[in-house]
Amino acid sequence: MALLEVKDVSSGYGYGPDILNRVSLSVESGTAYCIIGPNGAGKSTLLKTVAGLLQPRRGEILFDGQPIGGMRPDLVLATGICYVPQDRSLFPEMTVRENLIMGGFLERDRAVLSDRMEQVFEMFPVLADRASQHAVTMSGGEQQMLALGRALMIQPRVMMIDEPSLGLAPQVADQIFDIIRRLGELQITLLLVEQNVVRGLAATDWSFLLDLGVLRLEAPSDEILDDPRIRELYLGRQLAGSHPPTDQGEES
Amino acid sequence: MTHTIQVVILGLLLGGVYALMASGLTLMFGVMRIVNLAHGAFIVVAAYMAYLLFQGPGWDPFLSLVVIMPAMFLLGVLIYRFLFPPIESSPRFGEMTVLLTFAVALIVEGLLGFFFTGTFRTTDPPYSTEAILIGDLFIPKAQLYASITSLVLLAGLGAFLRLTRTGYAVRATMQNRTAAQIVGVNVRGVSTLSFGIGMALAGASGSLISFLFPFFPNSHWRWIAILLSLIVLGGLGSIKGAVIGALLLAVTAALISDQFGPTWSPMTFFGALFLILLIRPRGLFGQETRV
Repeated sequence: MALLEVKDVSSGYGYGPDILNRVSLSVESGTAYCIIGPNGAGKSTLLKTVAGLLQPRRGEILFDGQPIGGMRPDLVLATGICYVPQDRSLFPEMTVRENLIMGGFLERDRAVLSDRMEQVFEMFPVLADRASQHAVTMSGGEQQMLALGRALMIQPRVMMIDEPSLGLAPQVADQIFDIIRRLGELQITLLLVEQNVVRGLAATDWSFLLDLGVLRLEAPSDEILDDPRIRELYLGRQLAGSHPPTDQGEES
Repeated sequence: MTHTIQVVILGLLLGGVYALMASGLTLMFGVMRIVNLAHGAFIVVAAYMAYLLFQGPGWDPFLSLVVIMPAMFLLGVLIYRFLFPPIESSPRFGEMTVLLTFAVALIVEGLLGFFFTGTFRTTDPPYSTEAILIGDLFIPKAQLYASITSLVLLAGLGAFLRLTRTGYAVRATMQNRTAAQIVGVNVRGVSTLSFGIGMALAGASGSLISFLFPFFPNSHWRWIAILLSLIVLGGLGSIKGAVIGALLLAVTAALISDQFGPTWSPMTFFGALFLILLIRPRGLFGQETRV
């Protein structure tokens, strides 16, 4: 049985049109997935809908066979699905340590929390150095590490990461992706949205291609990268390595 | 010199009570982005409750406060649950709350006028006319007690926000609502709680002003005008800012009133509002950007 199943889901913002249009996909445990597609394809919308931040307008979402579509975000998180948004959504006026404590908000056992914080500090030594610093004062890369570290505080089963390399220098993005590749060792199933398609595909096993809210194609990540049709049709400019698109617009 | 110290002390005592009133208002804005124009009206409602309990069973306003705070908390929970869900998903939520709470303020004022008429009321417990003399300094007991009570309540609020798990959740929601959601905070629950706490603080303030200032149904406009300028000065959503803004402006108003006559005292608040909006629109302790 699939770990996470999205069945025929449509979703959008406020009174606006459907951004996600009857998408179905299924996610197996222990696999790393990349969601690719041009701007406005509905990639972020898909993650937000699964996370409970948006209500699906139709269709259902199953996790471990249980329906989670339309559930409150805190209850979705409690099932083990966490979301790292592209703006990182830190608590600017809390310290790194307090941000991590908030990440473990659902875990009431303090001993467990301090163990996990140690693990996060091991993965991200820079966070340990900055433990008493306010999040707002950190660099973009450090903030992204904090966002990932904060998500790890609940030991999620599925991690949905939206544009982790957005706005980061290439070397910093490399560091972030080194960490993301290690999530598999922690038995975490990854759902990644990444504007740098080459990087995103290289870090994952399987990919979904979304376009205008519709699932166009799914294939092993290394095959998508090699398929000339896909390159030309959807990703040409990005793969040519010109200017990376700024994925803001209605998705931000 | 003694005279100036005297004026500053009176200003500070009054500022303590202003701080209590403003903290509830800024908490509501900080957590829910609700600009609650009815905050003053609910302070006056609480003052009438204190008045009724004083006239009827003869309760001292400090005793009434213990009952009025939980009553107002419950009222706040009900109001939040019934009034705000319909506009929650509106892209113009902030503006809608201004209109909605303006309407609530008018309705409350109308009801108070219906039940209590437009007569000025006040509670007059014995200490309301007594004072303590320290050397040449004159300290009215009513203002001293009210100020101490305010500070104790504010310290309690601070401890709750800093030290408890729920307090962390409230602060997290104030700093970034989406972030709070994705770490598992039930923001709807936190919002309901915060609205209740804001109303309970309005309840406490109302009990205190019942013996500090004579009030009638229309009084709330005066209060909300002052409170809004206080919280903008302090930085919308910052409780620390509201407290410091309240103390600062109350002292300034007292000094100006002393120099130029009481007519000019209310001007202080609006003058300060103009200045802060010109120089530093986010206020003394406001967050630079809001997500």
